[in-house]
Amino acid sequence: MGRMTGGTESNRLLDAAHAAFIQGPVSVIVATRNAERVPDVVRGCGCRVSRDRRQVTVLIEPARASSLLDDIAANGLVAVVFSQPSTHRTIQLKGEDARVVPVTAADRAAARRHRQQWCADLASIGYSPEFAAAVHGGRGPLAAIRFTPTAAFQQTPGPGAGQPLRS
Amino acid sequence: MPPPITSLRRCFEGAVPAVIATCSRDGIPNVSYISEVHYVDPGHVALSFQFFSKTRQNVLENPRATVSVIHPDSGAQYRLAVRYLRTEACGPLFECMKAKLAGIASHSGMTGVFQLRGADVYRVESVTEIYGATLEAPPPPEVDVTVLRECMARLSRATDLASLLDTLLDVLADPIGLTHAMVLMHDPSGERLYTVASRGYAESGVGAEVHPGEGIIGAAAQARIPIRIAHATSEFGYGRAIREDLQSRGITAGIEQRIPFPGLPESQSQIAVPILAGDRLLGVLFAESETPGRFGYDEEDGFMVLASHVGAVSALLEDEAPAGEETPGVQRSELPAGAPLRVRRYAANDSIFIGDDYLIKGVAGAILWRLLRSHVEDGRSDHTNRELRLDPAIHLPDLSENLEARLILLTRRLEERCPALRVEKTGRGRFRFHVLRPVALEEIAR
Repeated sequence: MGRMTGGTESNRLLDAAHAAFIQGPVSVIVATRNAERVPDVVRGCGCRVSRDRRQVTVLIEPARASSLLDDIAANGLVAVVFSQPSTHRTIQLKGEDARVVPVTAADRAAARRHRQQWCADLASIGYSPEFAAAVHGGRGPLAAIRFTPTAAFQQTPGPGAGQPLRS
Repeated sequence: MPPPITSLRRCFEGAVPAVIATCSRDGIPNVSYISEVHYVDPGHVALSFQFFSKTRQNVLENPRATVSVIHPDSGAQYRLAVRYLRTEACGPLFECMKAKLAGIASHSGMTGVFQLRGADVYRVESVTEIYGATLEAPPPPEVDVTVLRECMARLSRATDLASLLDTLLDVLADPIGLTHAMVLMHDPSGERLYTVASRGYAESGVGAEVHPGEGIIGAAAQARIPIRIAHATSEFGYGRAIREDLQSRGITAGIEQRIPFPGLPESQSQIAVPILAGDRLLGVLFAESETPGRFGYDEEDGFMVLASHVGAVSALLEDEAPAGEETPGVQRSELPAGAPLRVRRYAANDSIFIGDDYLIKGVAGAILWRLLRSHVEDGRSDHTNRELRLDPAIHLPDLSENLEARLILLTRRLEERCPALRVEKTGRGRFRFHVLRPVALEEIAR
């Protein structure tokens, strides 16, 4: 499985549909690794895509992470999976320039919206609102991690998982 | 000292998907969902390997990974630092995960997509509870130690195999609360399992057979491990397995007869555990429920405790009369009056028909034929297990053959299908064969 760098002439990996998908009711799972190549992973609580779709910002609760923010500061490497619980549709983005950026009011609004939409998606497949809200979190202090996607993969379960993302 | 993960087992039921983060040799992180995290022991988990994925490639290059799981009741999240050790592509762990994965696939609409290639075994190096609000703790398991103690005491009081198996189904119903269950005994010669006792079905299904490997009962027997399915799955449904088996064998007209297998039409959860006496497979205990996710790790533990106790108790039950009493006096029974009962035997497989209705075959069929001939030829009604065991016409395969189980099968089939013939236990290793109508025996040679 090759990493796909670039992807379009404009070097933009995400089309409008992908951008809408990762900002929708999807689970956001963020992974990093430290100097010993030991990974950390945390459930995020929202995502925002820049207007030109070149920058992705994922929101996490730092209290839930272990070494994740230190890893970002140390090496900037990040992998993020976006998966819609009700459909299993999943994509993974990777970046090499991840950094922690200040959280804005728009980020906090995005996390609130994400909690509502994500909990509704879980409710549609039978999870209780209390359970979904507990798993989501997103009510404590947030951190924002911004990166430029340099590789994107289709990751819906099945033999086609891992193929470079296509429009 | 690795942290024990036993208290996290509910997280490994597949109700909420887990994720794994890995890192390649080049240092590129990757994150992926895992279909199945399986509890192996307090220090190890196994993850399902289904596709040649980036995750798989990464752990082969760099064994250190991080798994995040969610408790399905409380919503609590845990982070497990794990180290990849090895992959098992066959054997008990693999079979167990394969069955469970089929249930998970069915639950998530992924039947046919999920197929287990291997069980990837990881050592758990640390466990961290992730900060966050959680819901109230789940209720304690229904099969707790106090309940088990009561069940085992009742099982220990059994005086013979029939009462032992009946007590097993009784305690499952009350106090445990499982009302759909059955016990199948293993026939080592014919490589099959046959139902000897059941509860909660419209038809008892006594005599219905399962071959090793068929459905979860056959898988539990073959691998000698407990197998659970939390969500209805056609892949491991015994019904389908048996139908396919029927088709693949073809039915020999008139001879190859089958007793329909009992089962819940709306079965959602199923569990099958082996009953072992030492290293010998005695049979399988099976239960099912219309409630999805009814059987968890705790229930599996409880079933294994009950099944191993049944195995041990059964080994202590003598099925032969005490020495000196083995030859019952020949007592001519009164000949009954009325229209004769036509009984036909096909020598090819010892199958017995009453009129035109199939009754039984195999060893139990041979026993019945011997009892009938003995009735007709010398009017005998009292018999011992020992005389049956020594009779070459019954071709018991070996000394380990569970004769008592055959007699239970025969007794119950007669109760259900032919009340004119009755086997009555009269003491340890002794029984009386009652014939309430005249019989006309007909033998169809091979």
